Amino acid sequence: MDRPRAPEDITPLAVQEGPAVEVAPHKEPETPLEWVRENLFSSWFSGILTLISTAFLLYFGYAFLHWIFVSAEWRVVKVNLRSWMLGRFPPEGVGRVVTSMFLVVALSGLTWGGLGKRIRWTIGRRIMAAGFAVGGLLLLYYVLSGVGIWLLIGGLTGTFAAAVWLGKRLGFRLRGVITFGWVLIYPVVVAILVAFGGPSPARWGGFLLNVMVGSAGIVLSFPIGVVLALGRRSSFPAIRTFCVGFIELLRGVPLITLLFAGLYFLPLLLPPSLDLHLIIRITIMFTIFSGVYVAEIIRGGLQGVHQGQYEAARALGLPTWRMTALVILPQALRNTIPALVSHFISVWKDTSLVGLVGSLDEGLSQARHSAAGLEFIGTLPEVLFGAGFIFWVVAISLGRWSQRVEKRVGVGER
Amino acid sequence: MSQAVAVAPGRPPFWRDVRILRILGQVLFVVAVFLIGQQIYLNLQFGVKQQAIDLSWGFLNSQAGFDIKEGLDYSRADSVARAFTVAGFNTIRVAGVGIVLASLFGLVIGVARLSKNWLVRKIAQAYVDLFRNTPVLVVILFVYFGFVLQLPRIDEGGSVFGVAFVSQRGTAIPWPRTDAGVGAWGVCLLAALVVAWLVRRWRTRINETTGKPHYRFLWSGGVFLAIAVGSYFVIGSPMKMDVPKVDGLRFVGGVEMTGEFFALLMGLVLYTSSFIGEIIRGSILAVEKGQKEAGEALGLTPFQQLRFVVLPQAMRIAIPPINSQYLNLTKNSSLGLAVAFPEMVSVGTTIINQEGRVTQVVVLWMLFYLTLSLSISTVMNAINRVVAYRGVRR
Repeated sequence: MDRPRAPEDITPLAVQEGPAVEVAPHKEPETPLEWVRENLFSSWFSGILTLISTAFLLYFGYAFLHWIFVSAEWRVVKVNLRSWMLGRFPPEGVGRVVTSMFLVVALSGLTWGGLGKRIRWTIGRRIMAAGFAVGGLLLLYYVLSGVGIWLLIGGLTGTFAAAVWLGKRLGFRLRGVITFGWVLIYPVVVAILVAFGGPSPARWGGFLLNVMVGSAGIVLSFPIGVVLALGRRSSFPAIRTFCVGFIELLRGVPLITLLFAGLYFLPLLLPPSLDLHLIIRITIMFTIFSGVYVAEIIRGGLQGVHQGQYEAARALGLPTWRMTALVILPQALRNTIPALVSHFISVWKDTSLVGLVGSLDEGLSQARHSAAGLEFIGTLPEVLFGAGFIFWVVAISLGRWSQRVEKRVGVGER
Repeated sequence: MSQAVAVAPGRPPFWRDVRILRILGQVLFVVAVFLIGQQIYLNLQFGVKQQAIDLSWGFLNSQAGFDIKEGLDYSRADSVARAFTVAGFNTIRVAGVGIVLASLFGLVIGVARLSKNWLVRKIAQAYVDLFRNTPVLVVILFVYFGFVLQLPRIDEGGSVFGVAFVSQRGTAIPWPRTDAGVGAWGVCLLAALVVAWLVRRWRTRINETTGKPHYRFLWSGGVFLAIAVGSYFVIGSPMKMDVPKVDGLRFVGGVEMTGEFFALLMGLVLYTSSFIGEIIRGSILAVEKGQKEAGEALGLTPFQQLRFVVLPQAMRIAIPPINSQYLNLTKNSSLGLAVAFPEMVSVGTTIINQEGRVTQVVVLWMLFYLTLSLSISTVMNAINRVVAYRGVRR
């Protein structure tokens, strides 16, 4: 097939009878009418689908917008938003939360500026960004009040912008700093919240608790996952069997049964002198549960590393642990970024289960409490919508942001 | 080439002998695991003694003493073991129906995401973006409190043409009940099935020998329906429609779906189908473009290209990730706790609150869910083997 054929090799095809079929080259639609015809009414089936979808959109869109703007009582959200966010966290400790927020926002800005891809500002994107900005500001204006909040938002935005600018200036040189920062951010934030007479973790509540449990499930699960994944691929049968058993046992059961085990069962297994608070026990179970899933993701990444990489490392004379740490793991981890991010998103969503177990008031259960009072009776749909929206915004931003980073780091390209 | 590289003679000292180090490492690991396990066991024993915890399984035979309003026959006088059976059956029921519905929804969403129609594509994308990024617990709660509990109360009507009822309590629709002569009708149905199969073969052969369109679905379906309906009236209506009625605060007759079941089911289906939709979309995109073009070249309609060329190949790629979504759905059915649907975890917590026995209940939960997960995986692996490429392997 590869051999170029001489012209005389080609026997002419029988010329077809009848008029030649003219195929028009595909033309990009120019006028709005053409666009509509191409994208909405290209065939009778497509036309019917368009009509059904329009009817569907009109009906549900109207019902939804009517509920949002007319019949829903948003006062319950406005009044209780602070307790949703912090629960029974003492007011004198709020400064610690704010400090942590500034840290995280600065680091995010650095990452965004340093690793992000430059956005092409098409008209559509400009309109969308403007819409988001105006909508967000209106929402904030409606929900929040008081100078303190505005100062905080202004400060955070300013910090973010400054960090993005700095990140852009320094660019890829920041890579090490950013990685190091994200590794250290969890212990640093815990230290800021607790150290030097801060409120004990038992006082964490609302979405603060979700964030803290969730970040433990993200950050601390990582070493567990790496160890379990390496153990599962170990050539030592004893270690392999143990890791396989551990992973499969915990992957087969629902998170909530593990949280119940953390509530009732874990104290029995730990030394009696070690009286851990419920929040810590739940965090432990949550982290282990997440670690098992991280282990499976990393195992997938390890399997994707080419055999030649192992052989090359061996040829260089690297001992096993240096081969793993310097050659195999970096490549394996890079390939797992998309899967890890979608796992981290589900970890964030799973923090909503913490409130079902014991008496912990994470964001969702805190929100449900606020609809229990006589004043706000019957506002549960509004409350669930509000709390769900907070979960949703964080999850979807994480997803979108990771797509950006993936493109920049070039996952799946090399 | 002329001289072999000198290999160190004899064996290295034992502290550098890989074979010995390997065994030593594993022995150390086993000893460490054993020591930790022993410590945990001692702690457990101490706790059990100190708090006078009963680790026996006798409580399974004691009277349950609480109500379960869903599923198999059960009364509060039945045993705890019976309560667990009812709960396990409820979990399997909601997971089974959920898996079927989530697959259907997911298939539609996945195909719609790739539609040529702009509006359909955008709606499907909004659906996926909405449900993939919301906690399943919030979805379940919202369906329950935002939809089910907004329905009319059971004593306030909500009747649909007087034959079906929609209320907070549940939904009841007419359901056929067997009557005399149902056995004979069953035999007729079996016969109809055989005849339909023969007709189908006959039409296929006509298509293969003469090239005429086979219409075998219409033919065999029509024959089956004709025989089924005909024999139904010849035998004299062996099935009677049982129309539900409201009796006080409950339904009598018909078949009923409780509001809690509906909320849990729809929450699970909406959430899981958004994931399955993305898997299906990815698998369709992963089928080589030439396959679809080949279908087009054969003159297949777009629907036929999808049904006979693209989807069968996409399914091969999709089955392993879909399997893990099925497992997730099954495990997430434990959130029935939040809407008081009596499944395994919710009944288990009731028992914990009433009788203690935490250890046993947790062990039962784990055994139950592990068995369930394993069964689903086994079935899915079997399906995977059937649809996987056969014959030539790369």
